[in-house]
Amino acid sequence: MSTEAEQTVKLVSSDNVEIVTERKIAERSMLIKNMIEDLGAPGEEPIPIMNVSEAVLRKVLEWCTHHKNDPAPTQDDDADSRKKTTDIEDWDQKFMQVDQEMLFEIILAANYMDIKALLDVGCKTVANMIKGKSPEEIRKTFNIQNDFTPEEEDQIRRENEWAEDR
Amino acid sequence: MVRARPLRRMSSGSSDSSSSTSPERGRDDDNDSFMMQANDSQSSLGADLSPELSEDAELRRIYEERCRVSPVHRLPAELLISIFSRLSAPKDLQNCMLVSKEWAKNSVGLLWHRPAMNKWDSIHSVVQSIRKAKKFFAYQDLVKRLNMSTLALQVSDGTLLGMAPCKRIERLTLTNCSKLTDIGIQPLITGNRVLLALDVTGLEQITDRTMITVAETCLRLQGLNVTGCKKITDASIAALAKSCRHLKRLKFNNCLQLTDTSIMTIAAYSTHLLEIDLYGLQSLESPAVTALLISCPHLREMRLAHCSRINDSAFLDIPTELDVPVKFESLRILDLTDCGEVGDKGVERIIQSCPRLRNLILAKCREITDRAVFAITKLGKNLHYIHLGHCQHITDLSVEALAKACNRIRYIDLACCSNLTDNSVTKLAGLPKLKRIGLVKCAGITDRSIYALAMGEYKNGKRSHSASVLERVHLSYCTLLTLDGIHVLLNNCPKLTHLSLTGVQAFLRDELLAFCREAPPEFNDHQRDVFCVFSGTGVSRLREFLNEQKAHADANRSATPSVGSSDMGMIIEQHMDNSDSAGSSTPVIMVDIHGSHPAGATPVAPGPVQVIGAGQASPGLVFTPGHPTMWQLNVSQSNVTNLSQSAPAATSGMTWSIYPGPAHNNVPPVPPPHGAAQHVTGMMGATILDDVDEGDEAFGEGSETMGD
Repeated sequence: MSTEAEQTVKLVSSDNVEIVTERKIAERSMLIKNMIEDLGAPGEEPIPIMNVSEAVLRKVLEWCTHHKNDPAPTQDDDADSRKKTTDIEDWDQKFMQVDQEMLFEIILAANYMDIKALLDVGCKTVANMIKGKSPEEIRKTFNIQNDFTPEEEDQIRRENEWAEDR
Repeated sequence: MVRARPLRRMSSGSSDSSSSTSPERGRDDDNDSFMMQANDSQSSLGADLSPELSEDAELRRIYEERCRVSPVHRLPAELLISIFSRLSAPKDLQNCMLVSKEWAKNSVGLLWHRPAMNKWDSIHSVVQSIRKAKKFFAYQDLVKRLNMSTLALQVSDGTLLGMAPCKRIERLTLTNCSKLTDIGIQPLITGNRVLLALDVTGLEQITDRTMITVAETCLRLQGLNVTGCKKITDASIAALAKSCRHLKRLKFNNCLQLTDTSIMTIAAYSTHLLEIDLYGLQSLESPAVTALLISCPHLREMRLAHCSRINDSAFLDIPTELDVPVKFESLRILDLTDCGEVGDKGVERIIQSCPRLRNLILAKCREITDRAVFAITKLGKNLHYIHLGHCQHITDLSVEALAKACNRIRYIDLACCSNLTDNSVTKLAGLPKLKRIGLVKCAGITDRSIYALAMGEYKNGKRSHSASVLERVHLSYCTLLTLDGIHVLLNNCPKLTHLSLTGVQAFLRDELLAFCREAPPEFNDHQRDVFCVFSGTGVSRLREFLNEQKAHADANRSATPSVGSSDMGMIIEQHMDNSDSAGSSTPVIMVDIHGSHPAGATPVAPGPVQVIGAGQASPGLVFTPGHPTMWQLNVSQSNVTNLSQSAPAATSGMTWSIYPGPAHNNVPPVPPPHGAAQHVTGMMGATILDDVDEGDEAFGEGSETMGD
């Protein structure tokens, strides 16, 4: 019986590519961790990660590998994240320097695979892209179409003007 | 299922309260792009759904095209909200609202969750939007938290009436909005079935009318703070206890009309109660306390300060099973400040019944003696916070036992325990987690206590912990203390942020008072004269000043070899310079902050020094130069000789005792002059109270519900 750290697991991406990785790395994902616990006999049955393509899965596993020894999140960490801090550690910042398509795929995958810390980093990264920008700048950044009429836009601005200085 | 779980966890993670305070979800459902994919797979199971299938395929194609153009569309509403929730500036949220309809829907709830109520302009603007007939969103339903306490006194009933359409407020905080009456509050509460926490602290004008409305409407109420609402009576509180069955946190401080009737009803109905504060309920009798303990098994915190009628029977009447009193395993905090009738027997029973007490406040329980403190030692590691101020009967005997048994104490207050001596403090100084110690008016203690505090826990000749964790030290009216002791304390306790030395003669010098903080405005001239409290940067400035003075004095003494070096900038060297101009009655502390270390100047081999006879009755502290933080406590002067033999550096010219003159020779500490005792008492009360509250530790989610 090998120890948990040495065990490997087989993951299968949505495009049917098999990826073998350390169990410890894969278990940064609570989805996988629970599946392993439910199925038993890790390493034998491939685990389908149905909503995540190979490219994204590899990227997510890259993050999990770097963070495989992180301590489990505590209550304190939860309290900290409530403080809305958008600080991101350097390695994660570099990791998140990807095109928007990949950025949002990572966030979706982190959500689906239940990797709270990665989801957190992803959301912070997007929040930082929004901070301090005007509505028009935000639209440009994310290529979003303005579907308000000028009247509607003006109305919303007026109804929420208390938010302008606080 | 697999997907649903993380999503649900996420959305609850982004809200701040245990109950759902996240933005309305209903309206976003059509916007949840994941739904389309889900429908896709479901519809393919059907037999004759081809038209729908092609419709779905078309939708899917449009969706994919949209996501290709702007990938952000892939995010479902939950994730978009999670991202928006990281934006702390309302301005950023407002900008998000103006991006597109989808973004507006997902950010408006966050923006209005807790509208700005800190400026009149904001309030005016918020009320205007809420009252508008035709508005883009139903803002009144999005307000979950309303906090008017910033403008407090200026808030009128009229202001609050503007917010009356908001019926989904979960936390209403009106602390000190003392102009408010039932007229303003009642309409706001009427119809609100989701209120969880209500704080009306200091609203002296509100009556049972408001509280009856709460009782009738807010059946989910968990937290209620009616501190100082003097018009409230048993009638409404008993009604409230009967109808609001989820009460968890109650504060009835100084609700002078409340009696056992209210408290007994609460005990009977509020089985979920976690915290109750009955400060100053002077008519409260012991049976109500017993009832609370017995009926509320989750009770974690019970504050009964100044409930002067409570006596030992509150605890002695706890039923027993086979002679063992029933145990209340949840109780962590018990405050019996100034419950003067409670004595040793009561405390003994408290400890038997509440073995997991963490904070125990017995200040001004003047009857208690060493017997009670010996009982308290049974709490062992559970005890973190103990206040025994004004328990004047207690002696070194029990305090030393306390320090030994309860080694996780972080806070201890022994103000006015005038029997205590250096023996108690040297034992307490060894508590590895000690952050705050209150010794106000423990007039018998000397610099020996202070050196012990500076040293902290000492094991095998080494400090057990890398650095002192001591943060707050209260030494007012410890009149025997000198500058030197405090200087050493300052240099060994880098975390020190508070140091009170009011009434200590050695510190009432202009050059030192320059770093002292302002006396409270209510102090009279005489109180100002003796006031001496260093806090925050004042502590570090005092430290720097003393170090500079020392360095300066040092420079003037060229004969003195410069010795020692430090990695922490905290070398303490003591010199006995026989040619000292003050005629050797003024000890000098050498502090070398530059760490210069000429070769050969320190003949001592580096290494830990043994503590010799630490904790013995006789004072006599010897410093040996040569190694940083080298301390030696000696039983008597004769030991210095032994020491000198073992440590060559401690030559006669370099050894020095903190007790100038005859104080070496086992002379018991001289009682301080008590002339000024009378004027001092009132102020001292303030000094103590200053810290009582700060010492309370937050307990996880505990303090959440009571306000923001």
